Amino acid sequence: MTNLSPFDIQARPNRLLMQALSALVFIVCIGLYTHTSIVRHRDNPEDRIVPSGAQLMAGIKSSVLEPAEESDYIPPDNASTWELVHHSMIWTDTMASGSRFLISLALLIPCVVLAVHIGLFPIFGAVFMRFVLFFDKIVALSLLPILFIVFGIEEWSKIALIVIGVAPTMVLDTIGMVKAVPREQIVKAFTLDANNFDVAYRVVFPQILPQIINSLRLNLKPMMLFLFAGEMIAASNGLAYRIAIMRRHMGMDIIIPYVLWVALLLFLIDLSLRILNRRLHPWFQA
Amino acid sequence: MIKQRRSSLIVVLFLAVAVLAAPLAARAETPTFTVGWSVYAGWNPYFYMQKSGILKKWADKYGIAIKVQRFDYAASLDSFVSKNIDACTMTNMEALDMPAAAGVDSTAIIVGDYSNGNDAVLVRNNLNFATLPGKPIMLVQKTVSEYLLERGMVLNGQQAQLRSLKLINTSDSDIVAAFLNNKGNQAVVTWKPLVSQILGDRSVHSIFDSSKIPGEILDLLVVRTELLNTPNGQKFAKAITGAWYETIQQVVAGQANAIKYSAAASGDSVDSYKEQLKTTALFSSPKAAVDFTTSPALQQKMNLVRQFCFQHGLLGQGIKSVDDVAILYPNGAVQGRKDRIRFRFNAAYMQAAQQGKL
Repeated sequence: MTNLSPFDIQARPNRLLMQALSALVFIVCIGLYTHTSIVRHRDNPEDRIVPSGAQLMAGIKSSVLEPAEESDYIPPDNASTWELVHHSMIWTDTMASGSRFLISLALLIPCVVLAVHIGLFPIFGAVFMRFVLFFDKIVALSLLPILFIVFGIEEWSKIALIVIGVAPTMVLDTIGMVKAVPREQIVKAFTLDANNFDVAYRVVFPQILPQIINSLRLNLKPMMLFLFAGEMIAASNGLAYRIAIMRRHMGMDIIIPYVLWVALLLFLIDLSLRILNRRLHPWFQA
Repeated sequence: MIKQRRSSLIVVLFLAVAVLAAPLAARAETPTFTVGWSVYAGWNPYFYMQKSGILKKWADKYGIAIKVQRFDYAASLDSFVSKNIDACTMTNMEALDMPAAAGVDSTAIIVGDYSNGNDAVLVRNNLNFATLPGKPIMLVQKTVSEYLLERGMVLNGQQAQLRSLKLINTSDSDIVAAFLNNKGNQAVVTWKPLVSQILGDRSVHSIFDSSKIPGEILDLLVVRTELLNTPNGQKFAKAITGAWYETIQQVVAGQANAIKYSAAASGDSVDSYKEQLKTTALFSSPKAAVDFTTSPALQQKMNLVRQFCFQHGLLGQGIKSVDDVAILYPNGAVQGRKDRIRFRFNAAYMQAAQQGKL
């Protein structure tokens, strides 16, 4: 118990202390929130800006267990919990945003494949490299009016915004990884009678895949950011749509649970990518 | 080593105290009030009121200081509800569903104007209210735009079709570009000057506007009731009301500077601003405003608005009845539960202006 100074690199706190310390900042935040909420409610019992625990619970309940205003469904008296959840705000919004997110994720795959080609094949490099470098510097949000014309205001303009916003960064990142593969390895593969595609997909690609997954993990948040920007500008459903609507009459009792829900979803996607990476590439130490 | 750490701790503590104490020390001697306003034909005169010195003249008369600050509309309401500003311009609908529903007891002291054509339902392909259901309609949801659309549906006998309207929530900053750039967009509900920009496209025409529901979309200056009950708050209410009527009379009289600065407040041209004023029913004299505010018709109109707010859940999740956010009128009538008055119309200051007692 001697080495417990915060500025001691050799400190060896036990497990219990470690966990207590990790919980510390969370507890401080929750405490500050509760304090603010109590103070504000003492002043105004109906305060909606910092909702109390009861208000938050009511908000969560209405977003999870009551049919959304947009839903045509009118619950029968004996509706099962599943039916209620299925038509609730949070379910319909998560499904809408989730499908946009997953489609953009799927569209990033061809971009990454293209990046491998740009990095490896000089002719591809000549055609695309400078364009990507330039395109990467365009602020995606400023393209929105053009996206509206090309893709309409429905789903595809939002998906395009996400892909255009994130793809160039990922492509450049991947090209860097490809270039970092030692030239000797590629030469060696050719001496072992590999052809061009063997080198690309059996030597280079498997090596950089764990790094690509890590790069994707870092890009999850920008993706979500672009998704939110798109949904806040024009949408008829989705997580950010709901937040934009609720903002207009201070529905913080819904907004705060939504913000935490989005954080949890992102955390889970990130976690599953991390686990996937560890399973697929146990040799890779990130 | 220990000494060093202790001294750094003292520095940190000192800084913390300084940061906490600064707002207290900075509090000025003269009571200062802040009015938030946002861009709208009927509110732009606040900009001129300050520029011209009219506001300072009236504030000095009552020995107080008044600042006016321009906001985004939503941000101005946020600031008002979180009590960062003392008064704010807003419509009757937002007064009900933002401060009042959030438990901030508020009072409208100036009824400035009503929208008399500023808000409109615009369509392509000769759509009408009967053929509108099912077509995508772009608008800023949960605002007077949605209210206007519903009123249009009801007044055109399409009440039963309300639920089949397909609304696309679209930010007002992008609604013009998003609507005009794609001929597939069929309908849009918005307000001036955006309406004028959209009507520049010949294939679009208006099928309904707020001149068909006069007096239902009101533009108010709202003060926190708590503040109004203090002596300084009353001075503030008198000063701002006096300044408002002096300003608005210049605007209505077409005084060149009044128009020029009010137009500049929103970056509009003088012509565009004059065009907006045509569809804004300004209560230029305190008498007109008092007559409107004390008339029984106001209660009927407010009833439509509060029912709309309640049906769309705008009064908050915990509100079980429309009567839980009650409204008090100048004649003492209460709409809703008497123990839950959250929004008040107060004609006293406008009356004082009418009698020249400010």
